[in-house]
Amino acid sequence: MMNGFKAVVIFVLAMLLQKAAFAAEVVELPPEELAQESVLPVFDRPVSVRNRTIVTNKKFEVDGFYSYAMTEPIANVSKLGIGIYYNTSESHAWGLLVGKHSTGLSSYAEQLDKQFNLDFARAPYPDLTTMLDYNLKAFYGKMSISKSIVFNTLLFGSASAGMVKYIHKSYPAVAVGMGQKFYFTKDWAVRFDLRLYAHQAPVPFLASRMKTTDPTPEYSEFEERLTFTTNLDVGLSYLF
Amino acid sequence: MRKILLLLIASSMMVPAGTFAQRKKSFSPKKASASSSSSRESTLRNQLSNALRQAQGGQYEAAANALFSLSRRPELADERAQIKYILGTMLIELKLYQTAAFQFVDVIRMKNPKYSKLAIEKLSIVADTLGDDTILNYAISRVDLNDFPSNLKDMIHFRLGEISLRNRDFTKASDLFSRVGSGSSYYYQALFNKGLAEMEGSQPAVAVGTFNKMLDARRRAPVTDTNKVAAQLGLARALYQKQDWEGSIEAYAQVPRDTVLWHDAVFEQSWAMLRAARFRSALSNFQTLHSAYYEDFYMPESLLLRSIVYLYICKYDEMEKVLSLFEKTYGPVRSKIGDFLKSTSDAASFYAEVEKANSMKISEKGSGLRLPYIVSRNVLDQGDVKRSMNYLEKLNQEKRRVEANSAFRASPLGQYALKIIANRGRNTKFAIGDMVKAHLLNMRVELRDLYEQAGFIRYEMITGRKESIKKKIAGKDLGAEQIDENIDRQFYIQNGYEYYPFKGEYWLDEVGNYHYLGKQSCE
Repeated sequence: MMNGFKAVVIFVLAMLLQKAAFAAEVVELPPEELAQESVLPVFDRPVSVRNRTIVTNKKFEVDGFYSYAMTEPIANVSKLGIGIYYNTSESHAWGLLVGKHSTGLSSYAEQLDKQFNLDFARAPYPDLTTMLDYNLKAFYGKMSISKSIVFNTLLFGSASAGMVKYIHKSYPAVAVGMGQKFYFTKDWAVRFDLRLYAHQAPVPFLASRMKTTDPTPEYSEFEERLTFTTNLDVGLSYLF
Repeated sequence: MRKILLLLIASSMMVPAGTFAQRKKSFSPKKASASSSSSRESTLRNQLSNALRQAQGGQYEAAANALFSLSRRPELADERAQIKYILGTMLIELKLYQTAAFQFVDVIRMKNPKYSKLAIEKLSIVADTLGDDTILNYAISRVDLNDFPSNLKDMIHFRLGEISLRNRDFTKASDLFSRVGSGSSYYYQALFNKGLAEMEGSQPAVAVGTFNKMLDARRRAPVTDTNKVAAQLGLARALYQKQDWEGSIEAYAQVPRDTVLWHDAVFEQSWAMLRAARFRSALSNFQTLHSAYYEDFYMPESLLLRSIVYLYICKYDEMEKVLSLFEKTYGPVRSKIGDFLKSTSDAASFYAEVEKANSMKISEKGSGLRLPYIVSRNVLDQGDVKRSMNYLEKLNQEKRRVEANSAFRASPLGQYALKIIANRGRNTKFAIGDMVKAHLLNMRVELRDLYEQAGFIRYEMITGRKESIKKKIAGKDLGAEQIDENIDRQFYIQNGYEYYPFKGEYWLDEVGNYHYLGKQSCE
């Protein structure tokens, strides 16, 4: 993951340096053609954009996403999911998210197993997350990334409520977050969501029960506590 | 102001007592049978004294109610001018300006030597607050300017200047406006109107000086200060009239964008650019003027101007598009105005139409209008209509003030005030209806002329196309090369632009920054 981030930084820097290398001659333009001040025109009904390219109002949207649990220590950090949303206006959208967690353990748990012979596969792990999601579409914008490519962007806040089903039991959960969509066509967008989940969950650390030599624990033996998990979702969104 | 009012009331309280004493002396010995009427009169005078005391004590509502009923008593006919005058001042305190105005008009009609003059002063102030020209003219026509107190002279000079300007007596108007002192709240408006009178009087060079003076005086004001912006636009117009195209373009460019005058400035600047043969700059302005942000604006001339600019640079295809847009947009507008004028005769219907459009400006634009929205909106933006609508709003505010107080509303004075407001409101609506009709008639004539011009422009386009084809056949055409043919995005970025490929999506922060990149297609 870290390496990926480094690669992106290097790529961006390379692009910037490339621009600097192509310093062209200074072209004189008549000053009256440039804006004289930075204030905006006054309208009776001020709106930031007219003829917007991406119209979401009264439209459905389907998302397929991969979710990465950034603060999950033991269970597998990956989840695949699907979401369906209905946009009631250009500001609000309501949707249903379903995510299927991958089975197995995180690399950190495997490391603990190797080093200390701790088998966290004995602990209950999350299986399915189902949430009702509300999106407040706060900012519609655009971004030019090359001479001829413009992405429209949408920054939104999200609030969700639903259930996180563990292998043995379901827990009510809430989540808040924010997300960003980059529309590369009028219908298709890359969607990023950062969410903080809060719900009761079993604590996977149970004294004298995690080593392979220990007696196998019952799932009910694990204590429960309020757990916070940060999730980053990356997916594709289709508007129709 | 409050001190003066208290002094006035206090002095007034002495007057009835004195008058009463004198009367008592002259009447009491004569007839014993008059004793009952005398006692009634005495009661009335006590009531009057009480009312004046209430006025002095700041109980304006109670005082106004008492004075109103006393002003109708025949026994107090001699004091009526005085009672009505004080009643008027009470109503001013209660912010019932229209009702107050009627009291002052009554006093003026009574020709009371003492109170008529005072009433004229007060009426001027009230009419000025209401923005009611009729009352103001009534007040001004009944007074010798030299008799007016010096603190009101600036206002009177300003209003008289306005009247002269309307009567197209520009020299007199300019003289009257220049008499408004620099300390007056009318000073900047007077300066602006002075410049306007000078321009109308074909003295653009003098007007440039006037507008520069105004700008100089407002130098430290905020960028969107109304007086400053108006002066800037006035200066640009004066320079245009002086045929100083470059100076005019520069002056128009200084009009800030977050003022309502900016749109006019951009359009007028485009004319100046055409006259200065800066076609590319003019066409850049049209990207803004004809953007989605101005879809509700009535501006047929701007489309014709755009087509003329295209004619100058031999862009016949673009010209054709713009002329078609003109016909597509303003053809239905023209016929709807014609139909409306044919089918409507009463002023109330004309008013009702613009009133509907006026409320649509606040809420969402909807259907139900017989005229196109752009037409109603344009009519609403006309100075006389706007002013009368403001007056109507002031009447509504007064009505709300009366209705908000249920006790006052039920009182005879409250009922009287509501009746006055209703009458004035009805008459104002009729007056606005007449104004709307006049504007619609003007628009119909203007559109007919513009259609004629569009026909000429189309003729020029066809001729130009013919010549172009001839040149093409002779191998003399310029080809389709554009000015930005060999320039990439780097060119714009290095010159301080933000560059996005245009996808027909208009952003508020881009309005005014669009640039036309085509070039001449003429040989």
